[in-house]
This record gives sequence, C-alpha cells and structure tokens, in this order.
Amino acid sequence: MCVGLAAKVVGIKNGMAVIDASGAKREVSAELLDELEPGDYVMVHAGVAIAKITSDDESETDELMEMLS
Amino acid sequence: MAEKKVTLAHGAGGRQTAELIHEVFQAHFANPEFTADDAAVLSVEKGRIAMTTDGFIVSPYEFNGGNIGKLSICGTVNDLACMGAKPMYMTCSFIIEEGFPMDKLEMIAASMEKTANEAGVRIVAGDTKVAGKGQVDHVFITTAGIGRIEEDVHTSGAFAKPGDVVIVTGDIGRHGCTILLAREDLGIEADIKSDCAPLWGTVESMLNVTKDIHVIRDATRGGVGTVLYEIAAESGVGVSLDSQSVPVDGAVRGVCGMLGLDPLYLANEGTLVVIAPADKAELLLEALHKGKYSANAAVIGKITEENPGKVVMTTEIGAQTLLPQPGGELLPRIC
Amino acid sequence: MEEKKMTAKEIIESYDGPKLRIMEVCGTHTHEIFRLGIRKILPKNIELISGPGCPVCVTPVSFIDEAVMLALEKQAVVCTFGDLIRVPGTKMSLAGARAEGGTVKIVYTPLDAVDYARNHPEEQVVFLAVGFETTTPAACLAVKKAKEEELANFSILTANKTMPNAYQALKGSADAFLYPGHVNAITGEEECRRLAEEDGISGVIAGFTAKEILTALAVIIEKSQTGKPFFVNCYPRVVRPEGSPAGRRIIEEVMEECDTEWRGLGVIPMSGQRLKEAYRDYDARIKFALPHIEGRPNPACRCGEVLQGKCLPPDCKVFGKGCTPQHPIGACMVSNEGTCSAYYQYGGI
Repeated sequence: MCVGLAAKVVGIKNGMAVIDASGAKREVSAELLDELEPGDYVMVHAGVAIAKITSDDESETDELMEMLS
Repeated sequence: MAEKKVTLAHGAGGRQTAELIHEVFQAHFANPEFTADDAAVLSVEKGRIAMTTDGFIVSPYEFNGGNIGKLSICGTVNDLACMGAKPMYMTCSFIIEEGFPMDKLEMIAASMEKTANEAGVRIVAGDTKVAGKGQVDHVFITTAGIGRIEEDVHTSGAFAKPGDVVIVTGDIGRHGCTILLAREDLGIEADIKSDCAPLWGTVESMLNVTKDIHVIRDATRGGVGTVLYEIAAESGVGVSLDSQSVPVDGAVRGVCGMLGLDPLYLANEGTLVVIAPADKAELLLEALHKGKYSANAAVIGKITEENPGKVVMTTEIGAQTLLPQPGGELLPRIC
Repeated sequence: MEEKKMTAKEIIESYDGPKLRIMEVCGTHTHEIFRLGIRKILPKNIELISGPGCPVCVTPVSFIDEAVMLALEKQAVVCTFGDLIRVPGTKMSLAGARAEGGTVKIVYTPLDAVDYARNHPEEQVVFLAVGFETTTPAACLAVKKAKEEELANFSILTANKTMPNAYQALKGSADAFLYPGHVNAITGEEECRRLAEEDGISGVIAGFTAKEILTALAVIIEKSQTGKPFFVNCYPRVVRPEGSPAGRRIIEEVMEECDTEWRGLGVIPMSGQRLKEAYRDYDARIKFALPHIEGRPNPACRCGEVLQGKCLPPDCKVFGKGCTPQHPIGACMVSNEGTCSAYYQYGGI
C-alpha cells in the first residue's frame, strides 16, 4: 500500500529535509520527525519522512532469527 | 537585438528558405554528396544494403546528454548497426514550429553534424517545413539511412538459439530516466545523463571478434524488458534473465526506487541487447569493455528451449518468476 | 554439537505442518512477494492471500467519477499519484479525461500540488487524497500548508482510509496477517497487539526487503506452532512501539473519522477520513458542490471477492480475457500492486 524509500538525510532547512537515495536527491517534509540531522536515515513516503531508521535490514533480521531458536 | 526566430516565411520556399538552408543546414552538413538537386546521387558497392527510417518527437528537445538532433542521428545509425550494417548515408526532414529560436536550430544542426561525423555517416539530403504555432511541439525530425551490411553477418530478432547468452552493452535506463526527470517536474535531482550515442563503433568491435552474432537490438522505447519479450516471441525461445546481473547506475536505481519504476522498462538510446553463442561471450565482453560506450557491458541471461515466448527471471532470493509483460504508459506510483 | 541454525528461507521451504493461510494486506507486500518469486518457494500447505491493502484497489468507482467530473466539468487541475490514472470509472478513467482535454497532473507528493497551486493562482487545483495512515499525513500537511498560506485555489478530494476496522471485517479470512509495515510506522504496535490479545487475531509487522519478508513469514510459521494468538514486530528498524505520534497528531488535527465505501467490501463504518469542519474550504466536494454519484462497477468483475480472499483472480470470468493490465476492468488489475495484476503479470510459469 505504501512504497517506502530508505534514504539518507543530507541537509535540513525550514522543516524540509534533502534526502539522497543512491544519488537521487529530493526535498521532503521533515515535519513529522524531531531532531533530524544530516547523516540520519529515514523512510520516505509520498514526500514525507515518516520514520527515522537504521540503514539496512541486516541486524534486525538476524535478531529475529535469533529469537526463534 | 531581438532573438532570431523561425517564421512561416522560412518554410515558404522563397529567399528565406534558401537562407535557412544555406546558413543552418549547409553550414553543418556540407559534404561532397550533400545535394542541391531534388535527390542525392550515390554510388553503392555491390552487396547487401540495410535501410531504415525513424521519427523523433522528444520533449524536452534538449536534455542532459543530448538533444533531438543527436538523437535523430543515433536512432537511425543504431537501427542500421543492429543489422550489422555500417551506416553510409542519411537524410533528414525537419518540421519546425513557427517561432522556434534560430540559435536552437543551429545548436541542433551542429549536434547532428558532430554525431554524424563520429558515426562516419554522411547527410546527403534534407527537407524543411515550418508549421504554424501549436501545430507541432517545437521541432520534429525524421531521419532515414542506408548502410552496407558486413559480409557473413546475419542478425535478426528471429535468430536467437537455445544456449546463447544475452548481453547488454551498458547500464540500462538512463535515457528514460533523464527524460522522465526533465519532463515530469517531479522535483528529483540526480546526476543522470542520457546514454544517447551512435553505436556503429560498438557493433564493429563485436563483429571484429566474431561474425556469428545472432541478434542485435537497440533497447529504445520500452527498454530491455520489452526487447527481450520481442526476441522471445520472434525466435520462439525462452529468455532466462538473472535479475542480479543487470547493470543499473546507482542514481537510476534511486530514482526508480522513489517512483516505483523498474529500469528494465526505461528507454535507452545507446544500449544494445546482443544475443550470441555462449562460447563467444567472454571475448565479446572483453572487446566491449574497451569501448567508449560499452564499459559496463554484462551478460544478463541466456536463451532457453523452455518457456518459449516468455522471459523468466531469477530473483535475488533465487526463485524463478515471470518478468511482467511490458505495456502502457510508465506511471510513477506511490502506493 | 550445536545444530546449524536454519535460515528463514529454509524454515519456509521445509514447513510441513498443518495448512497455514497468511494474508498480506499491503499492496506493496503483494507486489514484492510476486516480484521476488516468494510464492514459488512456498510449500503446498502455506497459502498466501492478498488482502485489501492497495488504496487504488479499494477506491470506489464513484471516486474516479468525481475526479473525472472535476477535470472535465469543473475545469480543475487534478493532481494525483500516478497509480490512479488508469483506474476505470463508470464512464472513463482519468487517462480518458486527459484525452478529452482535462488537465491531470502526476505528482510525487501532495505538497507539490500545493506548490503548483501557489504558482498558478488562476487555476483551481484539486489533489486526489487516497491512501491509508501512511499517506494521510502528507495530505494533511498539504491542507494545513494551504490554509496557512490562505491559498484559495487548492482543495483535496478525500478517500483516505484506516485499517483497524478492516481487520475486524477480515477476521477469519486467514490464520495470520502480514501487517503493513509503513502503516504501522505511523500507528505503532498497539492496535496489532490488541488484535492478538483481545480478538485472537494473529499477525506480524513486516518490512519490504526480501530478507524482511522471508523473516516475517518464518516468524509466522514458528509462532503458529504454539497454537496461541501472537503478535511480533518484525520491522523494528522502522516501526517504533509508539509509531509516529506526530503523524497521528497531524491527522487528528485536520481530519475526522467517517463511514466510507471500500470497493468490493462495501461501506465499513468509521474506516474513512474526511476533513474537519475547520478545513471545509479545502474540501473539493463542498467547494465544487459535487453531487452524490453512484458509481457502477462492471458487474462481471469479482474484485470484491478477490480482495476478501474469497476467490482467486483466475476464478473471475473476465480475468486475462476482457480484463488485462492494458485494458483493466476492475481496480485490482490496474495497480501494479493489485492482486489480479500481480497474478496476471507474474503467473503462468
């Protein structure tokens, strides 16, 4: 239902963040997230950064698999 | 001084038409065969000739990595090259919208000259029409060309054979991505240049390795995905595509991620799909990697007897699934 | 000796327990599952059902009719996500309206539609607001911005929906749900936890990479064997337990709940969102005095049953014949995420 894009924040101004997804840059709304800083990773949907995230899915899935054993 | 523009008088056949032809087109396309008569007269060696024509209506007419003029030469040169034909002569026909800036027309002609020189092709005849405001979108160009097919070269979309490898001569989707970003006002910035390039040199370097190449096709509208489906249907074979080995530039991948698009369906203007016997793959790649426009060439799959007419993709988890049939307008999606 | 641990993929491939029906309710899950070929590695006793989580697919015909009317009769500039362009209305789609001379613009975000309105004060701009909790904050931010700037030429046509009541409506359709990670990024864990504890509805919040989807399925398989209702957040790198309070605040500030029609499911009470009284000037239905439109879906189309997991796309008479991605009849064939589209495009081998 919602195409999300994990991207890196490279700049912030006036409630907007410039995000970079492997070289594609766009300004998105940063209004839903406090204390966003360049270098943070965010999940972007419809031009809005909806969550601060860790950059990859590696440790998350490892921990879940750990839990199963 | 007011900017000089193309007017209806430039298309009326009188003095101003002569001026336009003289100042813009003859200035750039001058060569011994460029005709002032009703048709160019050419001497052609014995052998097989390939001939093709293509119309160009790209919007915007200027884009990162090229313009409609360069595109109109590359399109026809590449269509000839795909038949193993060395491009020899071309014609070009302009339909220009009244009010089009003269310096832009000049820029387009200069770009055509440069590209034609690089491809080793001569422009031998042309035509100019001026249409009223709003009747065309800036400028349309139609080119036609002929080329001599190299001896012992027989390529066709119908010649793919089970066991052959599938090669792309470069990373895919750059032209389509460039145009999408320029046209749609999506607010996305990316350092992406159209791959628009004349590819006779690329094809020649492959033919120097082997004449035994079964299919060469330029992956223009509809992209590599569309071309693979065409070849599968025309040759009555299956295509097994390894999704992980398809070369895609990082920024193109980023834009596609943002818009929910697949680079396999984005247009290319300087990238070929090549199908050749597996034992030639290594030498072909070696030659391609030395080329100006094919440094990112890669083997992306093979031709199979199974699944005729279909393109089956091996995904990143190692499962096999059908590549969706291309179709319709590419729409950015969000949900 | 320590036993070598199985990977998520191995757990899925080797499952030989009782039949397990798992419903993914997010269209992006449907799409990724097909794209990655995950169905091809499932054993026979695991059935994946695609639920009603594609906003395009659940948007009723009448919404498209309203949008077409705005473009053609009210001469509004209709701004939309690309997904909606080809969805069939009673008479035509937005692509059809564009061919008839209407202005239909594709935007990446509703905030771009506000920018367009500001730069074109002589035009009336309407954004088509579809989507769930993930997408609704963007529309709310757009409306708020337009109000702050006192833009008199911007409004939205709402069809926003919320998931919780839909889960209730779907109870019993599956043994476990694959919850839509990006909806939960806004709503948090609480609702899903409550569904497990109070209603006995099991499920896990799942991400969208190959690893995340496989891991989520493996967790469902393992947890199902306990026989008790369960909930696990398998997407903690994005979904916090509390979700996004700021996201929910902006929705509450600008919108309120209402009954709404889901294509195929009918009206689900209090599962929709519309603008609050304070924002009525930005409601396209009020602004353009749109009449009540009764949409007429093609009667042969079984999208509704498909969305509830009651039938599979190939069971529908028009699937793959009259109804293809190039010429869709039902909404499930239109969106890339739609179940019928995914079956059509990725099926067949």
